[in-house]
Amino acid sequence: MTLSLVTSMNFPQCLFLVSTFALLAGVACAQSVIEGRVELPKARSAPVMNKRYEIVTKGGVIAPSPPIAVVYLEGSFLKPTTPPIAQMAQKDLMFVPPLLPVQAGTKVEFPNLDNTYHNIFSYSPTKRFDLGRYRSDEKPVPSQMFDMPGMVTLRCDIHEHMRGLILVLETPHFVTTDTDGRFRLSDLPSGHYKLKAWLSSKTTLEIPVELKSGSTLHVNLP
Amino acid sequence: MKVLQVLGFSLVALTAGRLGAEDFLDQVDEALTVTGFNNNIRARLSGLMDLEGYYFQQPAPGLIYASDNALFNPRLTFFLDVQLGSHVYAFAQSRVDRGFDPSDGGAEARLDEYALRVTPWDDGRFNVQAGKFATVVGNWVERHQTWENPLITAPLPYENVTAIYDSRAPSSAKRFTRGLVFAKYAYNPVIWGPSYATGVSTSGRLGQFDYAAEVKNAALSSRPETWDATEVGFDYPTASGRLGFRPNQMWNLGVSVSNGPYFRAEAKPTLPPGHGIGDYHELVLGQDIGFAWHHLQIWAEFYEVRFDVPRVGNADTFAYYLEAKYKFTPQFFGALRWNQQLFATVPDGAGGYAQWGQDIWRSDVAVGYRFTAHTQIKLQYSLQHQDSVSSDFGHLVAAQFTLRF
Repeated sequence: MTLSLVTSMNFPQCLFLVSTFALLAGVACAQSVIEGRVELPKARSAPVMNKRYEIVTKGGVIAPSPPIAVVYLEGSFLKPTTPPIAQMAQKDLMFVPPLLPVQAGTKVEFPNLDNTYHNIFSYSPTKRFDLGRYRSDEKPVPSQMFDMPGMVTLRCDIHEHMRGLILVLETPHFVTTDTDGRFRLSDLPSGHYKLKAWLSSKTTLEIPVELKSGSTLHVNLP
Repeated sequence: MKVLQVLGFSLVALTAGRLGAEDFLDQVDEALTVTGFNNNIRARLSGLMDLEGYYFQQPAPGLIYASDNALFNPRLTFFLDVQLGSHVYAFAQSRVDRGFDPSDGGAEARLDEYALRVTPWDDGRFNVQAGKFATVVGNWVERHQTWENPLITAPLPYENVTAIYDSRAPSSAKRFTRGLVFAKYAYNPVIWGPSYATGVSTSGRLGQFDYAAEVKNAALSSRPETWDATEVGFDYPTASGRLGFRPNQMWNLGVSVSNGPYFRAEAKPTLPPGHGIGDYHELVLGQDIGFAWHHLQIWAEFYEVRFDVPRVGNADTFAYYLEAKYKFTPQFFGALRWNQQLFATVPDGAGGYAQWGQDIWRSDVAVGYRFTAHTQIKLQYSLQHQDSVSSDFGHLVAAQFTLRF
């Protein structure tokens, strides 16, 4: 219909119409940005592997996971039409990444990148599952759908020290901080929202924000 | 013991608030892990709190020592794991319970395991370990703790007492074949539990093969008191080894061998003249298989055992078990185990031959449920049949609640 309207106009009219559409589209897409810093908690103790009854022990130690936070915009957003896919791997007897934020409705794959079995499970009410023992070349890659918002603690039935977290959020607007606590959330729609920073199962910081079209907001938490 | 019971029931009550308890125990875990020197020294204290109940027919089966038909057996186990740099690891296990094996005795505290392990290369081709620790023989040791064991009791080869009596040599073949005439604790199984004897081991992996060898102060059949270096010293060491083959992550196959004197020092005066403790060995040949795929795990071990028995000769026995575990849901699992031990004949001292033990089979079935990642409950029923025992079939019902912290 738009095409037939354009073809029936002369050149100046057509130029005006196209410019107007372009301007309107530009205003609609002038999305906002929030950046800032979250004060992170102190680093936890590095894990100690239980090697008591392993006949074969490898050298080396498990690297400690520095604390990070998940920053997200709370509000009412559309659910994804096709389920996004995320990955939480097991590598060097650790979850990589150790903290994974996803939007509700995301399928998370758990590839085993070690040359030993893993058995990932969760008893969290948000998502209860047990993938059983699976090896690195397992096809298809074991996966689970995360539909309910909440926190899911992941463990390995074979490697007691392994811990991972999946934070299932209702929003598509989230990001993990770097290890200094810095974050940048971009492509945000304008409006009134709550900006939240999840630090642990016990601590979530929040602040109300008003986003104006095309603006960049600087926020530090707390 | 009352303190243990109160603590146990408090923790059971805590488990009722499952999520709160899980969060709390995760925090306890974090609080009990300490690091220093830029993470180069790490230590973690952890443990198991077990509340076990047994109901059985007399005579009590396996290594259970109780005069009644029922036994309550609480146990508190502490583990210390220490990582020093990237190549040195140490661990210790201490227990407070009613005896190493379930018994109606009073409370006692022991240091069951302690060891220092050095891993010079990152690829695990060679490890050396010294201390008091579980045997390298077979594949049951890696799941002998209550959290990992899908059943409550140990497999038959690790707990079925035979006519072998390590404190005294039999005075005649006739007496040896007469069966168990003293209190059950006087006799030995072919392998006593995880055999936490004292010594040195080496282990490693080369491609698809892994190896482990150890020299310990006591034989596999020896009782817990002899595992301490201070009890028997190293005058009569036992050498053991296992060669493993892993074609892939699903399969784990192994062969084991162990050989060493099994008599305790007090048996020396009862030995035939001109013979010493070092003349009478326990020889164990073992084969083990492990398989795991998704929610199914299967294990089996086969042991051919020979004891040199004074005034008798070679007393041979064959013991084996097949065990399977399946997770029906993330939290609910079941396990089955078929066990059997067969005894050969020995000269009976009257010109003939007689079996030196009663053939036995036992079938174990168990179900378990993990309330949280820190708490589980298991229920087990065992049906046992032993030839020439007054009661044809023996029954055992056991329940075990475990809290892991």
